[in-house]
Amino acid sequence: MKLHRIYAIVLRNLFFFRRSYDRITDAFYWPAIDVIVWGMTSSYFTQFAPLNSPVVLILLSGILFWIVVYRGQYEINIGLLDEVWNKNLINLFVAPLKFSEWILALMAIGIIKTAMSFVFAITLAMMLYKINFLGFGWYFLPFSLLLLMTGWWVSFFVTGLILRFGTRVQAFAWTTLAILSPFSAIYYPVSALPQWAQVIAAIIPTSYVFEGMRQAINTGIVSPHNLIMSFILNLVFLIIATIFLKKSFNKVLEKGLVKVY
Amino acid sequence: MMKNVLEVNNLTKKFGNFTAVNNISFTVKEGELLGFLGPNGAGKTTTIQMLLSVLAPTSGEILYFCKNLKQHREEILEQVNFSTTYINLPWNLTIKENLTFMSYLYTIKNRKKKVDEIIEVFKLSKLANHQMHQLSAGQITRVNLAKAFLNNPKVLLLDEPTASLDPDIAAYIRSLIMEKNKQEGLSVILTSHNMAEVEEVCDRVMFINKGKIIADDAPENLSKSIEICHIELLVRKESEKLVVFCKKMKLKYSQKAKNITVIDVKEKEIPEFLRGVMDAGIQYDEISIEKPTLEDYFLQVSNEALDADDKPSDSHASGSFPHEKTERLVKD
Repeated sequence: MKLHRIYAIVLRNLFFFRRSYDRITDAFYWPAIDVIVWGMTSSYFTQFAPLNSPVVLILLSGILFWIVVYRGQYEINIGLLDEVWNKNLINLFVAPLKFSEWILALMAIGIIKTAMSFVFAITLAMMLYKINFLGFGWYFLPFSLLLLMTGWWVSFFVTGLILRFGTRVQAFAWTTLAILSPFSAIYYPVSALPQWAQVIAAIIPTSYVFEGMRQAINTGIVSPHNLIMSFILNLVFLIIATIFLKKSFNKVLEKGLVKVY
Repeated sequence: MMKNVLEVNNLTKKFGNFTAVNNISFTVKEGELLGFLGPNGAGKTTTIQMLLSVLAPTSGEILYFCKNLKQHREEILEQVNFSTTYINLPWNLTIKENLTFMSYLYTIKNRKKKVDEIIEVFKLSKLANHQMHQLSAGQITRVNLAKAFLNNPKVLLLDEPTASLDPDIAAYIRSLIMEKNKQEGLSVILTSHNMAEVEEVCDRVMFINKGKIIADDAPENLSKSIEICHIELLVRKESEKLVVFCKKMKLKYSQKAKNITVIDVKEKEIPEFLRGVMDAGIQYDEISIEKPTLEDYFLQVSNEALDADDKPSDSHASGSFPHEKTERLVKD
């Protein structure tokens, strides 16, 4: 593992980011729109809620934390697709770059850009709606890490699929996570889901994080059970996804990396 | 004695039932300039991909500097590089940004200095801050080549390195390759459809067809193996007589220009041909005899491959083409 090779990929993405309107839009525009629309919607609903009900905080926290999952996943997948669209994948892998170094670099890029979007969206929400997200205290850290882990394993599955089937399945990069969102109980408790959906939610790591997030808002305390369950499930999925990803890369080497560029 | 920088042993690549590369073995010595030629679909690209570890061989081994590529990939690729016109660097990064980030993929001392030096050597200084999409095809080719020299490679694989370059820049690139070869002992494996370039640059040429190496020799020796010479005759009066004569003698001919006919004749049969022309009462005003070139060899191999493809499958199995004619050229 060589840090300079990881840095090379990070640098390539940062060079690209600073002059790509697409990526700047992804990082700032959409989070801003989400915060504004959901902030207004939740402010309106507050009128019908009991006094001091934290509707705005719950909905906006859901939105903000979902940014962590989404960007953690999206950055890795879009990192692969960028190389494919640019026909640059071969240039990277005729160099001594290891596949694991490349994935680590994309994870690092994901963390950097997630932090940028997250901090921007929180600041905007605090300014517009006078909400204090600092009430989460240290829970910010495990929540963010667990949500990032989910983003990573989803992206590993999608990357594996793109490596195997090429750009014809590239839409998975921006659609896959949406399948998880109803079961993640981002804006409502898991108990609000139908029974069959609750069974699915029980194996989705993000559902425990968002349950924990609401606990933190309502009581100031998060049950360790939620954090531990989310971590164990994330770890299991991450291991499976890593194996799938590695096998997919080996499979593409059988056909030739040039098939996906 | 020169060391082998690359040794390929019994390399095979199969895609399902199709064998793209069939049990090939060869070596490349330190400082050697090897032309790797063959018709489209012959197995060149497949072989090069395996040499770069972006395609897994079905069987066989690849050794660089006496080390197995599979087991010592990172260490080997630090000393190897590749350039082709068919792969791009990110289109909305500038030349300098591309070379900078690529330099971090290798262990290079003083990367900034190296990038500046490479930009200078490849005459890209004025374009350094241009994004790739703002460049012409020739300029992109130059950037791809510059990238290939970033890590001071000991072995360089070049796929059509001068395609789409202006003649002066192509000549400059060829001289640069030969200079690096002389000064630093750089070994090069080059594929090109420009046979004159291959003849100029390469010490040795290896022909591959249907996944097998069918010839491996110095370019001049391969040209010599072609018996046919091109005789160019300028006949101002009664030139139709020459056409009748060629048809009668069943000679292949073509009209190069008005009154100029090019006839393919075996070298040893030239005196007999000229006597026949005289006997037929054909008065030629000018004559030139062109010896066969590497291009003629390439065309012969390619045409015979196409002919063989047209024949029923049992004729393929006979091995009459191209191995029978050319196997004598393959060195042990």
